[in-house]
Amino acid sequence: MNRLKIATLTKYILVAFAIAILSFLAQSAFAQGEVEIALFLAVSIIAIGITYLTKISIPLKFFLPGLLFLAAFALGPVLYTLGMSGFQFQTGNYISKDAAIERIKLLGVQPDENGTTFDVLVGRSDSGDFALLASDPFVTKQYFISTQERLTRLDPLDLTLDSDGLASEAPGFKAFSNRELREVDQTLTTIRFKYEEPFFLQLEGSDLAAVKRQKLEYLSDQDQFRNLLTGELYSDNGRGNYVSEANLDDILQPGWRSPIWFSHYIDLFSDPKVREPLVKVFIWTIIFAFLTVLTQFALGLLVALAMNRPIWGRRIYRSIFILPYAMPSIMSILIWGGMFDTEFGAINNLFNSDVAWFQNPNFARAAVIIVNLWLGFPYFYLVTSGALQAIPSELSEAAAIDGASGKQTFWKITLPLLLQVLSPLLVASFAFNFNNFNLIYLLTGGGPRNDLDGEIAGATDILISYTYRIAFGTNIQNLGLASAISVIIFIIVASISLYGIRKSKVLESFK
Amino acid sequence: MTKWIRENLWRHAVAITVVLFSLFPLYLVVISSINPTGSLQITSFIPREISSKNFRMLFNDPTIPYLTWMRNTLIIAGLVAVISVIIGASAAFAFSRLRFKGKRFGLQTLLLVQMFPAILAISALYVIMERVYNFAPYMGLGTQTGLILVYLGGAMGVNIWLLKGFVDSIPMELDEAAKVDGASPMQTYWLIFVPLAAPVLAVVALLSFIGTFNEFILARLFLVDMESRTIAVGLQGFIGGQYSQNWGPFAAGSIIASIPIVIIFLSLQRYIISGLTAGSVKG
Amino acid sequence: MIRFKSIAVAVAAALVGSVFMVPAQAQDKEILVWADETRGPNLTKVVEGKNDWVAGYKIVIRTFSSFDALKTAVDNATDLTGPDIIVGANDWVATGAKNGKLAPITLSNAVKNRFTPNNLFDLSYKGNLYGVPLDINNVAMIYNTKLVKSAPKSFGDMVNYYLANKSKQKLVAGLCVAGGGMSWGAHSILSALGGNAYVLKNGKVVTSGNPVPAEFSANVKKFLLAKNGKSNGFLPASDAGCKDNFLAGKVPFAIIGNWEWKDYVFKGFKMNLMPVPGVKPGTYGNMFGSVSGAMLTSYAAKRGVEAGAKDVLTKFFASTEGAIRYQSVELRPPAEKGAQQADLTAAQIGFGKAGSLAGIPQIGAILNGTAGSSSYWDLLPAFWTAVLVDGKNPAAEAKKLNDFFKKNIEAGVKDL
Repeated sequence: MNRLKIATLTKYILVAFAIAILSFLAQSAFAQGEVEIALFLAVSIIAIGITYLTKISIPLKFFLPGLLFLAAFALGPVLYTLGMSGFQFQTGNYISKDAAIERIKLLGVQPDENGTTFDVLVGRSDSGDFALLASDPFVTKQYFISTQERLTRLDPLDLTLDSDGLASEAPGFKAFSNRELREVDQTLTTIRFKYEEPFFLQLEGSDLAAVKRQKLEYLSDQDQFRNLLTGELYSDNGRGNYVSEANLDDILQPGWRSPIWFSHYIDLFSDPKVREPLVKVFIWTIIFAFLTVLTQFALGLLVALAMNRPIWGRRIYRSIFILPYAMPSIMSILIWGGMFDTEFGAINNLFNSDVAWFQNPNFARAAVIIVNLWLGFPYFYLVTSGALQAIPSELSEAAAIDGASGKQTFWKITLPLLLQVLSPLLVASFAFNFNNFNLIYLLTGGGPRNDLDGEIAGATDILISYTYRIAFGTNIQNLGLASAISVIIFIIVASISLYGIRKSKVLESFK
Repeated sequence: MTKWIRENLWRHAVAITVVLFSLFPLYLVVISSINPTGSLQITSFIPREISSKNFRMLFNDPTIPYLTWMRNTLIIAGLVAVISVIIGASAAFAFSRLRFKGKRFGLQTLLLVQMFPAILAISALYVIMERVYNFAPYMGLGTQTGLILVYLGGAMGVNIWLLKGFVDSIPMELDEAAKVDGASPMQTYWLIFVPLAAPVLAVVALLSFIGTFNEFILARLFLVDMESRTIAVGLQGFIGGQYSQNWGPFAAGSIIASIPIVIIFLSLQRYIISGLTAGSVKG
Repeated sequence: MIRFKSIAVAVAAALVGSVFMVPAQAQDKEILVWADETRGPNLTKVVEGKNDWVAGYKIVIRTFSSFDALKTAVDNATDLTGPDIIVGANDWVATGAKNGKLAPITLSNAVKNRFTPNNLFDLSYKGNLYGVPLDINNVAMIYNTKLVKSAPKSFGDMVNYYLANKSKQKLVAGLCVAGGGMSWGAHSILSALGGNAYVLKNGKVVTSGNPVPAEFSANVKKFLLAKNGKSNGFLPASDAGCKDNFLAGKVPFAIIGNWEWKDYVFKGFKMNLMPVPGVKPGTYGNMFGSVSGAMLTSYAAKRGVEAGAKDVLTKFFASTEGAIRYQSVELRPPAEKGAQQADLTAAQIGFGKAGSLAGIPQIGAILNGTAGSSSYWDLLPAFWTAVLVDGKNPAAEAKKLNDFFKKNIEAGVKDL
């Protein structure tokens, strides 16, 4: 009974601790304006409280923490990808519309033809407004004080000039100290100081002002930009850019990510240039994952069977078999890449061959399977060893009594039992290799690929590496399209695996 | 005698072939690490020059705090391994033993979430952790705590599938006996199930450890400061330069990085393999 | 006694209190700079030596573990944690501007004159300048003086030397690309043989004509292929093993980058750098002379340090003293003219000279390709593989290359 009391007490302490921390975080989140996160934390607190302090749902007590982590960090990216698949989200269409308008307005100024700049001191005029004391002893030979309202020209004789001929003091002007300058940094860069119409002066740093004029003006009721010099109008083209009505190639940058709903999906189904590579890559991905699991399992099983009897040196053998799995995979994959090099690679040197491993599609695929076999067989060796030992020896003895040979025992009894125990692992391994990005990316980059013939998909590209290249490749990055492709991949894969699960569940119920 | 040959020769033959297969690339890694020119192209199998320059660089170069990286990695991977196993084991137990509505739906959803190719995962996680940094800078972007939390997001999904098979094979009689004795599911879990499944849990913890150990894509984005980086990030940095690639220290670093994993494997080996008999197949 | 004690206490209290009463010196505002794993530590060294470049602002450098990591971080940065200045490659300017992450700057004529117009163009997009040039990245050709006695005058000289001495000196190749890769570094080979990614006339990209004319494939056939149409071994299609082989004396000519010259000097090679000679003596293959730059972000304004950041750009990164201090550690050719006069190593001078003889700006808008086309970075290596490894017809492959290049030029100039 005492142990029970301690356990219950521990439970209450842990729950109280968790709720306290989460409440503190939720409050900080809310204070900083992160409403969604605060809401999520609040929901978590309620869930934790209800689950652990009542008896409403016992199973939930077991997997609530895992579920919360999943919701925060695994579901989030999924929903984000799903959402972005309906957007025009690519290089040049990245930020929100408001941010884009703000940037276009900032960029919509133009320097004068000579790129005139003035060395300035920033300070205040007598009336207390922000003012610039500008000097240009060389080109225009002007000295003046400029505020937002007024430009006052000065005679250099009235001023104190420093050794470069720049004004350091002037009547009616008081310069800022460094500290005051830093404090007003934020406001200063947006202020426009008076200059000859239609130009104004903008501060560039703390001692330089440039002459500029406004080129683009934003008309908020019409949601258009107007070029003040030519009168051209730019309107929203529905796909994330302001485009000139006269010349469709004239696009204002930056654009923004605009919702285009199912446009990407329609493109994917209707555009054969995107559809066909997708099918090819999909078929190879399935073959790749299947062959990987098959070869890894076969070799792992073979080694496990060989090590099933205590032979001399077994411990040494076992320690070596584990090494491929223990070495960081980046290193192993890159070394294998070097080994397959056509001219200097170890494999061609060893077997005196000159196979162009990574230039020939089929050899590249073979190389990929070989490397994956090396990387993964230790894992299957490990689990198969354990499963083999779990099979009671009475079974094989009984079979021997009934007159079965070793081979028959293996194929008819041992193997089916192994497959039953290990089937979730085989499925998990298939799913893992289906998205085995690291291997393909580091070993072949998805190639070989005939770019000159316009091929987008390489011979060893799997769905995820193909999608990755569309999203982050050397060409313009199209994140929206890549997201749409991911969603389609997912729908196909999910259907197949759901069907597979249904089928295997049927088998399991016979246990 | 011939029986011995028939029974054991093939075993040795298989073992030796696979040993050669396993060791050959590793031999090349070793050669690269003692190659002073620091390149990956091995033009001869017997190294022409041997130098410990690459290894010395790892430990003596003040801009490469290798040991700090190792410590960080052990902490992060260790914590993630332990917590993931706890999460995964309890979830596997619940899904396997307890009866509740929506069990099948839940299991399928878990698998689907795991299989979703979240191409924008990096961007999404970056944004989330940035916001966390906004109000909790000690666990947001750039912190090891934040990275650990992100890794735990995938814990339940991955580990459930690894464990479920083994959990299913533990006889139900044990549970029923416990229920007769008046034990609640929680008690059955902690007092009966966990001790029984300990070796399996050890395997899962080890696999999770290795997975986190090797992860560099998220880690290099989150752990920018030199003192907080992990080994994987540091190693990738040797070859992720704009133009330069430093294969020598990369190979040397990889060899040293694999040592802790090998040690853990070897010390747990007997425990793991013999312990996998915990889930016995019904005769 | 009591009075003495109370006076002592009062004095102590006053002393303690005065510490808090002194107006707190306003903290220096920080300008956050992001850099990669080589530039970061070098910049940190410079800043640790002297950090009063702009009064009232402190420069803080954040070093990323690799160039790739920096690029990913830049792609994902938002105003919450983004930097004020990014030290990166010039081809980030167009993307950064289009994605709204960079803010434009205006330099006074005095500062502008310290850089060449090409360098400033590299960091501009649609007429706005987004950063100041730091150092020039280019490749140049080096030859092994133990094998080759004098500088080759034409491309043919190099090929003839290789064919004549191949078996005698056990040469593995004639010219290989040790630095820069088969797309960026190999542009000088493409150009030496008559093709180009794009051609510039009077500072503007030429949009008519063929960037890869027919004579290019004729030259490829003549110089790179043997009679049977297969590669004659002069130019390998990949850069694997090139550096090792050159250092071992198995390849007479190599294209190397200005970031790795120390490795060659260490092995005793002279820095006899030159651009790749063209088919006609006196002509050379154009190479990309790209600059890396310090760019201003749009986040600086949101954090209220824009004026300070702009000052850091002009007073530190673009200043002669800043450039000299930085390059004395970084050891790359500086872009700033004043620093170029300073005490430079032979390699820095050699690369600079080669670049000025035959350099063209790296125009990302064209090179990165457009929707529906491939990027230059994938196309050129594919060409080498197709012709030198797969033995395909050079004229046909060159025509495909030309068609893609033309498409990219057409789309790219609209984005300049």
